[in-house]
Amino acid sequence: MSRGRHVYGALSVLAAGALVLSGCSKGGSDSGGDNKKQQENAKRQQASIKFGDAADSTGPAPDVPGAKAGGTMEVLQRDSYAHLDPGQIYVSDEGSLATLLHRGLTGYKATSNDGAQHEVVGDLATDSGATTDGGKTWKYTLKDGIKFQDGSPITSKDVRHSLERLFAPFINQGPTYVQQWLADSPGTAYRKLLKDGPYKGKHLPTSILETPDDKTIVFHFKTAHPDLPYALAMAGYAVVSQKGDTKEKYDKTPVLTGPYKIQSFKSGKSMVLVKNTNWDPKTDPIRHQYVDQFNITFNQQYETSTKALLADSGADQTGLSFNNQVDAGNLSKVLKDPSMKSRTVSGYQPYVGQMNINMSHPALKDKTVREAIAYALPVTPFVRAYGGTDAMEVAGGLISPTVSGYDAAFDPWGKKKKPAGDPDKAKELLKKAGKLNMKLTFGYINTPEGQQYSTAMAAGLKKAGFNVQRQEIPAETYYDQVSKLDNNYDIFHTAWGADWPSASTVIPPLYDGRVIADGAQNYSQVNDPKVNSEIDRINQITDPVKSAAEWEKLDQYLVKDVVNVVPTGDYKQTQIAGSKVGGLVYDDVIGGIDPRRLYIK
Amino acid sequence: MLRFLVRRFLGAVVILFLLSIVTFLMFFGMPRDPALLMCGKTCNPQSLANIHHVLGLDKSVPEQYWIFLHNLVTGSDQFAQGPCPAPCFGYSYHTNEQVWGTLMDRLPTTVSLTLGGAVCFLIVGLGTGLLAAWRRGTLIDKAATAGAMVLSSMQIYFLGPLALAILVYQTHWFDKPAYNDFTADPFTWFTGLILPWVVLSTIFAAQYTRMARSSMIEQLQEEHVRTARAKGMSRQYVFFRYAWRGSLIPIVTIFGIDLGALLGGAIITEYTFSLPGLGQLAVQSVFFSDLPLLLGVMLFSASMILLFNIIVDACYAFIDPRVRLA
Repeated sequence: MSRGRHVYGALSVLAAGALVLSGCSKGGSDSGGDNKKQQENAKRQQASIKFGDAADSTGPAPDVPGAKAGGTMEVLQRDSYAHLDPGQIYVSDEGSLATLLHRGLTGYKATSNDGAQHEVVGDLATDSGATTDGGKTWKYTLKDGIKFQDGSPITSKDVRHSLERLFAPFINQGPTYVQQWLADSPGTAYRKLLKDGPYKGKHLPTSILETPDDKTIVFHFKTAHPDLPYALAMAGYAVVSQKGDTKEKYDKTPVLTGPYKIQSFKSGKSMVLVKNTNWDPKTDPIRHQYVDQFNITFNQQYETSTKALLADSGADQTGLSFNNQVDAGNLSKVLKDPSMKSRTVSGYQPYVGQMNINMSHPALKDKTVREAIAYALPVTPFVRAYGGTDAMEVAGGLISPTVSGYDAAFDPWGKKKKPAGDPDKAKELLKKAGKLNMKLTFGYINTPEGQQYSTAMAAGLKKAGFNVQRQEIPAETYYDQVSKLDNNYDIFHTAWGADWPSASTVIPPLYDGRVIADGAQNYSQVNDPKVNSEIDRINQITDPVKSAAEWEKLDQYLVKDVVNVVPTGDYKQTQIAGSKVGGLVYDDVIGGIDPRRLYIK
Repeated sequence: MLRFLVRRFLGAVVILFLLSIVTFLMFFGMPRDPALLMCGKTCNPQSLANIHHVLGLDKSVPEQYWIFLHNLVTGSDQFAQGPCPAPCFGYSYHTNEQVWGTLMDRLPTTVSLTLGGAVCFLIVGLGTGLLAAWRRGTLIDKAATAGAMVLSSMQIYFLGPLALAILVYQTHWFDKPAYNDFTADPFTWFTGLILPWVVLSTIFAAQYTRMARSSMIEQLQEEHVRTARAKGMSRQYVFFRYAWRGSLIPIVTIFGIDLGALLGGAIITEYTFSLPGLGQLAVQSVFFSDLPLLLGVMLFSASMILLFNIIVDACYAFIDPRVRLA
């Protein structure tokens, strides 16, 4: 039985990693400032995303250079798909798969061949949405010729049904943004608006959701929500067939709209995708249908898939994984091997790590002390714990490179140049504040990475004159503990990823002083009047390019002037494919390989 | 014999019952909440409460246990996912699939792995052990003993990846391990499982070599064996007729336990070779705090161990006529 215990131990750590929503690679190189790499990284940053018009939203999608049709692709995945019902899809694995299976009113169109530039366009709708009153009313018109896999046309009734069923109790794992906006209430109170969903004859009133004909859908919000085109592009808001809706069972037998349909699915074992003949490329500006068939096999650990794809023999030559990363042990080997270059893609995950400074503690209300922490905190241990610069990059701000508006030059505490921290400057500030040797309680997560970086970070802070007390927190309850209002941790680390490439899903949930509550995500308990009012102001800006610039300004104000958090790292990952896989691109919005562009060479 | 079997089966049911209670209590004693894993990023107390309600976790632990027992015996059509005939372990929290169906779906993989491996390690292990005992003190014996010592101290998590790296990815001598349905294509079923069988049986065969050798040597020193030899019977006759049968008793005991445990899920082997068997399922159930699946796998594995224990005990009567079952 002792053999069993080894595995359970290893997996509980892995599970904890999943909870923390963080990359979990280890090993790899640990080089500091590699100029070339930094330039490459800078190139990958997300340009400002715009909302596309009817011309941008017209299919077919521009051809992938060199692509040809046909062939079977082998896909090696670690985890089986738990959900196929769009309403239940939130996580990245299912999100990647959904790009092949589901379509929504809007979607992300890649506007460059490197997966870094995007715009939001109409997917089932003719454009990304039209608003005439600053984001309170949104009108969508469905395209002609759009069908479900069974050949039945997609109408506005299906779209209404798709939205209304999100209020039913069995839908409990997908995003909740649009439901909250329709009900104009935060948290889960939106469910009261349509308690049983559309299943007992009740519907959302036309004052909220209007479908005057088969093609038109109008959203009426009480307050402006300029981010609706982004939100509707989430897999969670893809369309569900009203006729084919089997409620709970829909999670296993969804009626699909994308270029592929499911031929067979044996949960935990395999899935076969074949072409959906009722998908018309002329209606789709985003997706392709080059590959005839995807054979997906589950239970392939990162080590297994990496070794198989590296060996590049037999069926693995046309193989890849949508979501498995290169395992930590092979990461530096893959990145250093020039022959692997054409088979390797790397990119950012949407997560940004940050050290929270608990603003509710009296000793930390002194800004000079917080500045001292910001200068002293070494980021090198954090980068090293996650596998070096190939897996983690030093962050300057709170907005990820995958998010619209990211500013690579922003680095107020000099972390990019001096990732080991500046203890001398910190000590000077601490002396000035008269707080030399002040006690600082550092709550850290007891994962291997947490143990590693917290020790070295504590040492760095001690050098600057803090009396650091480390306190271990079990990984299973870590986020519960640090999100309690009366926790006794002065500093603690968290990571957060954007739900769509706008900081509106980063700054309001994390730094709005009015959402401070037990269990909420304002971990540093910051309540700054300027931040609060700016959040309200920027949330009303309808031009996504302008709002992205404003969010970045607010990000810089938080990091530099409020100093309630110190950014640590932007999470990265590397994926590989067999030598006969074409169209291999890391898509920053998906946060992994883009399945829609793939072809067999 | 019948009384023996009835008594042992009743005992097994009691053990399974107690095990289910312990699993239940341990699950609720853990600081992990399965609803948290489903709650998403913007989790709040209300959405957590909703998930608790949907999963039935808002009921008291005794009430949940009673529902579990009731469903197990009578089945249930109360599940939103569909009907659940007895034995009903309910639907998995994570995959929303019927637990019993999932267990039965994964069983062929584990049975194929276990039985194939068992055939290999029994033939190789017993053969080598008996040969070593027959040729005790010779070079063959020393080589077998030393080899068995080295191999039995290895672990599958070392030998498995090593075999994969060399035999599959470098030399391409073996197919990449995979489970293919026997009924669909017996040939790919066989080729996909060769390597897992070889690795699994290497470690077990080494243990059985040592066991068979020492058990045989012990038997050869028994008085009845010596008497038989003194009466003029040939060494060969005594070895295979007298000593061999006696030496099997401890081996059968261990084999029964090993087989039961392997059928309950060869966790490391399945994990190493990416085989979708019961062992993988056990890991998954812990990983996702999936109570129905956890209970299903635990009770199924325990049933296998108990069943093979009973079979072993019944086998004693056939191997050793002195044993009377009552």
